[in-house]
Parts: sequence; structure tokens; C-alpha cells
Amino acid sequence: MLAYHQKSFLIVDDFSDFRSSVRSMLRELGVKDVDTADTGEVALRMCSQKRYDFILQDYHLGDGKKNGQQVLEDLMIEKLISHESVFVMVTAESSQAMVLSALEHEPDAYLTKPFNRAGLAQRLERLQQRKTLLKPIMQALDRGKPVEVLNACIALCRQDPRYSPLCLRYRADALRDMNQNEVLERLYNSILADRPLPWAYVGLGRLLFKRGQVAQAKALYEKALKVFPMMPGLYDGLADVLVAQGNSKSAQRVLEEAVRLSPLAVRRQSLLGKLAMSNEDFDTAAKAYRQAVSQGAQSRFKDPESNLGLAHALISKGSERGLDTRARLEINQTLSAVAKENPSDPGLQIRARLMKATSLLINDAETADKLTEQALTRLDGMEQFMSADAALLVAKQLKMLGQAQASDSMLKNCAEIYGDDPAVMRGIAKQTDDPAILNSGTAAADLNRQGVRSYKAGALTEARELFRGALLLQPKNISIALNMAQALLHGATADLDPGLLEECRKCLKMVGLMPESDSRYPRYQKLQNKAFEQ
Amino acid sequence: MSEIDQGLDFSTVIASTVHDMKNSLAVLMQAHGQWLARLPSAQQQTDEQGAIDFEFAHLNGMLVQLLGLYKLGVNQLPVRPDYHELDDFIEAQLAAHQEVFKSRGILVTYEVDPLSPLGFFDRELIGTVLANAINNAIRFARQSLLISVSEETGQLVLTINDDGEGYPAQMIERQEQYVQGINPASGSTGLGLYFAARIAQLHQRNGVPGRTEISNGGPLGGGLFSLYLP
Repeated sequence: MLAYHQKSFLIVDDFSDFRSSVRSMLRELGVKDVDTADTGEVALRMCSQKRYDFILQDYHLGDGKKNGQQVLEDLMIEKLISHESVFVMVTAESSQAMVLSALEHEPDAYLTKPFNRAGLAQRLERLQQRKTLLKPIMQALDRGKPVEVLNACIALCRQDPRYSPLCLRYRADALRDMNQNEVLERLYNSILADRPLPWAYVGLGRLLFKRGQVAQAKALYEKALKVFPMMPGLYDGLADVLVAQGNSKSAQRVLEEAVRLSPLAVRRQSLLGKLAMSNEDFDTAAKAYRQAVSQGAQSRFKDPESNLGLAHALISKGSERGLDTRARLEINQTLSAVAKENPSDPGLQIRARLMKATSLLINDAETADKLTEQALTRLDGMEQFMSADAALLVAKQLKMLGQAQASDSMLKNCAEIYGDDPAVMRGIAKQTDDPAILNSGTAAADLNRQGVRSYKAGALTEARELFRGALLLQPKNISIALNMAQALLHGATADLDPGLLEECRKCLKMVGLMPESDSRYPRYQKLQNKAFEQ
Repeated sequence: MSEIDQGLDFSTVIASTVHDMKNSLAVLMQAHGQWLARLPSAQQQTDEQGAIDFEFAHLNGMLVQLLGLYKLGVNQLPVRPDYHELDDFIEAQLAAHQEVFKSRGILVTYEVDPLSPLGFFDRELIGTVLANAINNAIRFARQSLLISVSEETGQLVLTINDDGEGYPAQMIERQEQYVQGINPASGSTGLGLYFAARIAQLHQRNGVPGRTEISNGGPLGGGLFSLYLP
């Protein structure tokens, strides 16, 4: 029997009847330490102050509130809960739908209401036993050391091979975190050869995709969907593959299917909005972004991009005569939230104002002008780089608002920062045919390419010289500056020339202005750490 | 608009009503449990209480099954198999039925092969099948019930055996028809068999589907329900 009197419990449920009923069940089991919370927010606060051995979390905590899955995500990501603790998701009905959508962060068990004392005691007892069995793995997970997780798994499987299937997922996740791609691929394949495990399909698909084996990833997802046609995570993976193949129409259809199966997913809804937008399906885009905004309100995946996307979709949907009152109201509301919630983000302040100005262009030119003025003033003093997508839209809206000069300077800036990306240059070419903008990066891109070649050939001094020349032409180009920094730090020991180190830090300072959402941001962080270790 | 367009899709109506009924029943059961706990112990264990516990479980099982059948019908019953500890899985089902066993004076035992403690299946779906099978066995058992899990040519075999009269011969003979959904209207046992077989079939390995079987005999001599999972 469990020594319940030493264990701490947290019951999270919005119904006080239920809380007191479970509390009395626990008391009868000998539990002394029981806390309760009626919302996810309260639960999170309590978990940040006290470590609970058991959390009994109700899934549905009322409309407009964080649900149990969101609470679990917050607890895990913010490390407010130990892997040694037991987290039980209590559900009013079948847990099927929740199980399907919770592939990333799973509770230790689901418990369906109604349950009796014996049922509760049995679950708690067994879950505690399993945690004890897996204790070394759980402790390694808490330490965040994938190598130790892997070793703990190996030790446990050797000690009791009967339970080795229980370690599979921990092994796979550890290998993923260690970037042991070949071993991981073999593990996934051996798991799937024996049993069709949904998470193994998703994991293998992501791995293939990450390694650029797009066609194989697609075939795998299609095969997996035949076995598990109701698994939203597989649709997400397939959509990623289709986007990479340039098939955004099919990707949209696939994501629409995933949203139908599992509508409660902020990131999925906002990705669908983005895809539908690029497919000029403004109705679907507006609907998806609207969902992303409203669900995001309680979620850690809240993202102002969804608000801007919603406004953009509604504007694009509008007719020649402008927008109807309802659309204007919604745009106003969703953009006000962006401006209010991100006071210190100049990019968002500018974009929200220009978006609003664009929506008022036909019906209220005066206010539109005023907002544009405000945006231009802020744009003048803004140091940070916008993402390429955002910059292109800003340029387009500036032109619509009669600010051709500002629009061109935005495009020129964008060409300097992102000019080495052909997709961005194609986007710029849609808005201008000015050769001064379109060809502004050619010479620098050429030098950059030569620099990469020299760097790969080991001609470090030559590479540095070439990157330096490129950077002189396009000082804000992220790729060139990163290459420059890397070439300067290459093979550097403690005695790197102080002049070169200074040059490197200057490069990185410029690159640091890029948005964190940029795919090169992790590379920048790595170089940054290296440069400041010196 | 035609009349057909305006009509209600009756199976959807039933499904959403059953959904509400299930929630309502859950609140009822919980409230009853709390009320019962406040009664003096002599009044807690009565024959009526046994009937109430049994029918609560029976009603709940039927509603869950009905929702499952609806989802099967519209092709929306998701299957998500994983490895599960078998003794834990069975203990959980027995714990849920504990009051009924107690009030009916039924002794339950279970056996799991210690060499293969894990099974691969959808816990929720197979749990529903097992709960219904236990509920059914309770109706016919005199005083004991035996649940066992074993392995037979690589398949997991889950059996529920009681010491009652056993299934009527005609039912055993016609079990194929129940499984195929032919004439399933004959009582809840028939419908239960149909549901169990469909859930079993959703569990496949290398093209081999799961299946169910009813017979009489076993160690306890009464009805014997077997679920084969590849």
C-alpha cells in the first residue's frame, strides 16, 4: 500500500462538489495533504510554490478557461512539475478525443468520471508503482540529460526485459534530443515493424522531414494515415511535407481535416490561416485565425501574428465599397489587442497601425492618414528587423496608403536583410521593378557564395576577406553576417586576435536584430555564446 | 428547401442525447455516492443498494456502448493502441465494479501470466468491452467470476468466466450472426457481442484482426467470453 499520509495532492476542478467528493475519497485513503484549485491559473501558481506528488486535473474547466491539456503543457514546459509526480487527467466522458490531440505532452493516465474510491485508489497505487519502476528515467528527465535518460532505459531493460516496451518512447525522445538521427531512425523502424504505434509514426515522419527526405516522409505519413485516419498529428506532418513541396492547396486541405478532427489547437489553426491566406481563401483564413485568436487567449501559444492575420484576411475579403460594420468592429478589436498587449514591440505597433489604416482606406481616409503618420514615425526609429513576410506586407500597405517612397525604402531594406533568399526576392519583385532594388544584393550574394566555397575548402583568411567584402556592400544581411561571424570564430582558441573578436561581436550585434522566429535564430545564439565565451 | 433537408438526422440526435444522459448519470452516481457515505453503515449495505450499483454500472456501460456504436457507424471511432500493464488494466475494471461484487457476494479472481505482463491495445475501447462483459457475467454468476489473460499462438486472450447457467445453446450456435450484426435486436447481450466483435476487429496485426468467442465451460463451468487480440 502507498504511504498516502506522506504524499501531497492537488485537485483541480471547477465544480466544488467534485473537489469535495474527491477530497473525502482521498481522506479515507489516509491522505493528509490535499490542496484544491478551481482554475488552471490557480493550479499553475500553486505548483510554482509547492511540489505535488499527485495532481488530479479535470479536463474541462469551463468555457474561456485554460483546459486541462493546456495546464499540463504549461506545467511541463515551465518545469513546474517533476517527472516523478503523477498527473492524472480526469474527464467527464470518453478520453478518446483528448488522447488523440495530446501527442506531445501526455498525462500519466486518464480517469473517466464517475469513479469510486476503489477505482481512484487502484489507479493511484499502480501509477505510483510505475513511477517507482521508472524512477531513474524520471530523475534523468528532470535533470534534462538525454544521455542519462538513455542509460537509465538501457539499465532498466537489462534488469527487467519484460517492461522494455514502456521505455521505447523515452529512448526515442532522448535520441532525438541528442541528434542521433541514424540510431533513432533504426529504432523507429524496429518499433513500427513490430507494432503500429502512432507516436512512432509521427516521430519517424518528422525525422525524415528534418533530414530533407521529403518524399519518404510523405509516403510514411500516407501509410500511417491508413492505419490511424483520426490522428491529427499525422495530418500536421503531412501538411508540412506538402508545404515544403510547394503544394499549399493540398496542405490546406490536409490541415482542414486535422482541424475538423481536433479543433482545439492554436498553432494548427494559425498555420491553417497562413496557408489559406497564401491560397487566397480568405474565408477559411479568417475562420482559422479567429479560432487561433480566441483559443490562444488562454494558451501559451498565443501569438499576435494570428490577430494580424485575422485582420488581414478580413480586409482581403472586403469588397470594393469597403468593409461592413461587423468586419470593421472585429478588425478594430483584434488589432487593439495587439497594440495594447505589445507596447514595447515597435514592429507590432507599426504593423497594427498600418493594418488598421488599410482597413479604413475607403471609409475613413482621415483616420487612415493619421495612423499611417504614426506608423511612419515609429518606422523611422525602429532598429529591429521585421520578418520578411511582415516587411513585404508593410511595404505593400504603405504603397496602398500613398507612401510610395517609404514603401520602396522598406523593400530595399528587406532586400538587404534577406536578399540571399530567392523566395523573398520573388516577393519583392511582385511589388517593384526598380533594378536598383532588385539587383542591390547581387554583388554581395556573389561574394558570399565565393566565401562559402573558400570556407569549405579551408581557406579561412580568404573566406573572411570575401565575407568582409560582401558585408561591406550589404551590412544588414543576416546570412552573410552569420557566415562572417562563424568564419571569424572558426578554430578560434582563447588567443583569438582581439581585433577579430571585436569585428565578430559587431557582426553578431547586427544579426541580433533579427526576429526570434527566424529559422537562423538558433545558429545566431550558438555563435553568440561562442563569441562571448572568448 | 425540401422536407428531407429540414428533418433531423436521428442518429445524431440520439448520440448527442446519449452524451447528455451519460453526463447526467455521472452526476447522479456521484451524488448518490456522497449521500450514501453519510448514512449509517447498516443502511449502506442493503439489497436495494446492490441493485442500484449494478444498474448504475449497467446503464453507464450501455450508454458508452451506444456512443461507441454511433461513432463506429459514422466511421469516427479512433483507435490508439499502446502497451499497457495487464494486471493494472484488469484491476482498474474490477475496482470500478467493487460495490456490485460486494453487494452481490461475488468473489472475483484474475490471472495474468507474469512472463508477459504487457498487452498492446486501445485501453479505453477494450476497457469498455471488458466492463460490459463483466457486467453481463455478474448477471449470471452465482458466486464467482474468473478473469484470465494468457497468450495463445502469439495472440493475447482475455477471458471472463462465470459459474452461472452459461449462454443458451442457441446463442452460442448463432454467435456469428450476432457478430455480423444480423438480427442484433435480441437483447443487450447480442448487441454487446456485436460491439465487442467490432472493437476486436479494429485491433489488427499484419492483417490478422482480433475476434471474440462465446462458449460454456471453463474452470467455473458457466459462460465463457473470450477476446482474442493479435
